[in-house]
Amino acid sequence: MIPRRRFLAGLGAFALTATGCQRRRQATEGRPPGPIRLVFQHQPFLGDPAPLRRLFTDFERENEGIVIAAELLPSAPGAVHQYYLTALEGGSQDFDVFIIDVIWVAEFARAGWIAELTSAFPPDVLRRDFLPGAASAVIVGDSTFAMPWYVDVGVFYRRSDRVPQAPRTYGEVVAFAREAMPRQASMRGFLWQALQSESLVCNVYEAIWGHGGTTMLGDRVLLDTPEARGALEYLRALVACGVSPLSVTSMAEEESRRVFQAGDAVFMRNWPYAWAEAESPGSPIRGRVGLSALPTVDGAIGRGALGGFQLALNAHTPAWKVDAAHRFIDHLTSPQANLAIALAYGRNPPRAAVYRDPQLLTGAPAIAGLLPLALLAEPRPVTAYYPMFNGTLAAEFSAAVTGVRSPAEALRRAQAEIDHLMREAP
Amino acid sequence: MTPSRARATPFSTRDRLTAYLLAAPAGALLVGVALFPILFAAWLSLHRLILILRERRFIGLDNYAYLLHDQRFWTALGNTAYFAVFSVTAELGLGLAIASLLASAAPGQRLLRAAILVPWAIPAAVSGKIWAWLFNPDYGLFTRVLPGSINWLGTPGYAMPAAILVDVWKTVPFVALLIFAALRNIPEDLYRAASLDGASSWRIFRSITLPLLKPTLAVVLVLRTLDAFRVFDAIYVLTAGGPANTTETLAIYTYKTLMDAGDFGYGSTLAIATFLCVLVISIAYLRVLGSEGRA
Repeated sequence: MIPRRRFLAGLGAFALTATGCQRRRQATEGRPPGPIRLVFQHQPFLGDPAPLRRLFTDFERENEGIVIAAELLPSAPGAVHQYYLTALEGGSQDFDVFIIDVIWVAEFARAGWIAELTSAFPPDVLRRDFLPGAASAVIVGDSTFAMPWYVDVGVFYRRSDRVPQAPRTYGEVVAFAREAMPRQASMRGFLWQALQSESLVCNVYEAIWGHGGTTMLGDRVLLDTPEARGALEYLRALVACGVSPLSVTSMAEEESRRVFQAGDAVFMRNWPYAWAEAESPGSPIRGRVGLSALPTVDGAIGRGALGGFQLALNAHTPAWKVDAAHRFIDHLTSPQANLAIALAYGRNPPRAAVYRDPQLLTGAPAIAGLLPLALLAEPRPVTAYYPMFNGTLAAEFSAAVTGVRSPAEALRRAQAEIDHLMREAP
Repeated sequence: MTPSRARATPFSTRDRLTAYLLAAPAGALLVGVALFPILFAAWLSLHRLILILRERRFIGLDNYAYLLHDQRFWTALGNTAYFAVFSVTAELGLGLAIASLLASAAPGQRLLRAAILVPWAIPAAVSGKIWAWLFNPDYGLFTRVLPGSINWLGTPGYAMPAAILVDVWKTVPFVALLIFAALRNIPEDLYRAASLDGASSWRIFRSITLPLLKPTLAVVLVLRTLDAFRVFDAIYVLTAGGPANTTETLAIYTYKTLMDAGDFGYGSTLAIATFLCVLVISIAYLRVLGSEGRA
């Protein structure tokens, strides 16, 4: 959770700016005596916090005079986004290094809330060492604004004891699910995330790409297309014909994972973290789970949505802390840290070379095997306006999936809203 | 007469000054926390002010022109009205019934009075989470108990009634307690006289209880309607406005525009629109109930 005091401080700071008192605290005050205290805010990983804490203590040992104060954020990305919106706009100096979602980088960079990191982490080095999706997510123009911490990509899970062969087309998903479902009374077919939320947006974009669609045409976010209609019709049909249970319309990632992990579903679309959970000791489906690329309409390898978190530096962090912050970011995004996070928490390394590391190949072969999918990961529309219209996308996609509106009507409305927002923008 | 009046005048001036001085802190507080924010929001609503674009530009009434054609706004207004009408009606009806039960001398009613407060004492966010689990389509109580499987919070048409149910569950105790207090203030003599005259219990309820409860009911009605019109937490925790925005109220739309999109100009326009709705309702209530009071 966000510490309540800090959250209130953020609100207070926001109120100050909102009332016109544009108070920008300058980093003029000199460095206080004693060690440099870097505040790092992050979301907790599922599982034992010790490996992550070890990364902090390793850094403190190697960098005498720097103390890391780690603070936890809520696991709800929406709440975190609002917290940073108010805190950063208010010029808060309560934190230095913090995590940001892939879809916030362009926005935060444009707003001037996060410090440029180009000198410490040049774009060409990033493009060389990191997965293309991860690198492009943090480079705006020719400048680096964040460092990839871990990447996420939408993947397809199946119960390998029920369905030996992974389905490659949407038709096979339906056929295989129908075959496997009747053998167990509580068995549901295909779980995904249709709760009106950002998760639904990822699922729909994956279906759009699976139908051969694209995201942008030049600078225009393209939605009202035959491919997108096909995608929404397919997703609606999954719910309407019972292959996906009605409950998917109120499922986010964890709701679907719990049902799948209880052994009550044949297929699930989720992020790679669900693998570590499914294979954890005591999991009822341990050893009976298969991981593969998302299916598509024609059997090509499906592209998963690019997700994951980056490390960014508060633009208001005082100058005397910046070097320490750079070193800390470097430490947390090093190959060793990538490896530690992958082994302990099943989060995919953003560095391509780590996928060939023998320790990963033996310790987490499933993660290592995801390299082809991680290379194919596709970003949602990359524009600073994205956080302004993703709520509309979620609402219209939800309307189509729950049958409130036809896919064509929902897409027409979403396109009109996006065009209105982006045309008006200077 | 004359000297005393002469003496009274400077005295009353000083009195008036003292009165103003004494009222000044309260007045300043009201201006600071109510009047100023409202006026400031109204001023912001005349701007295009989007945080990420670092843009602040005066655009007059453009935001209001957009509001009139904003389908999402009208849907949110409709959702809010739907929620307010049904939740307030149910809360008043059930509150009255429960208050009557509480007032009747039944065994164990002390315990009952304490127990009924529990839903009201639970914070809205917590009760929202509890109900979200009860409604959970895979593991929830409702799925087990009720025939058929309805995904309450994920199905348009069901989600709003579910939210109303949660709000009614939470607020009925408050309404019941207010009405219960008023019931206890009705003199016992009136009931005795009525029963001597052979009035039926329905007749007693209509001719004695209801008229004497009217001032309390009016207060409850005003309070609850205004609360319901600004409803946020109860619904946000349950559905966050989904599915397909069918549970998005004015407050949720405003919140999302302000805090998710960072659009402070149009967000303020929505806030002012909500404020105007609440103002109209308040004035209408005051007119109707105020004139009845005088009659």
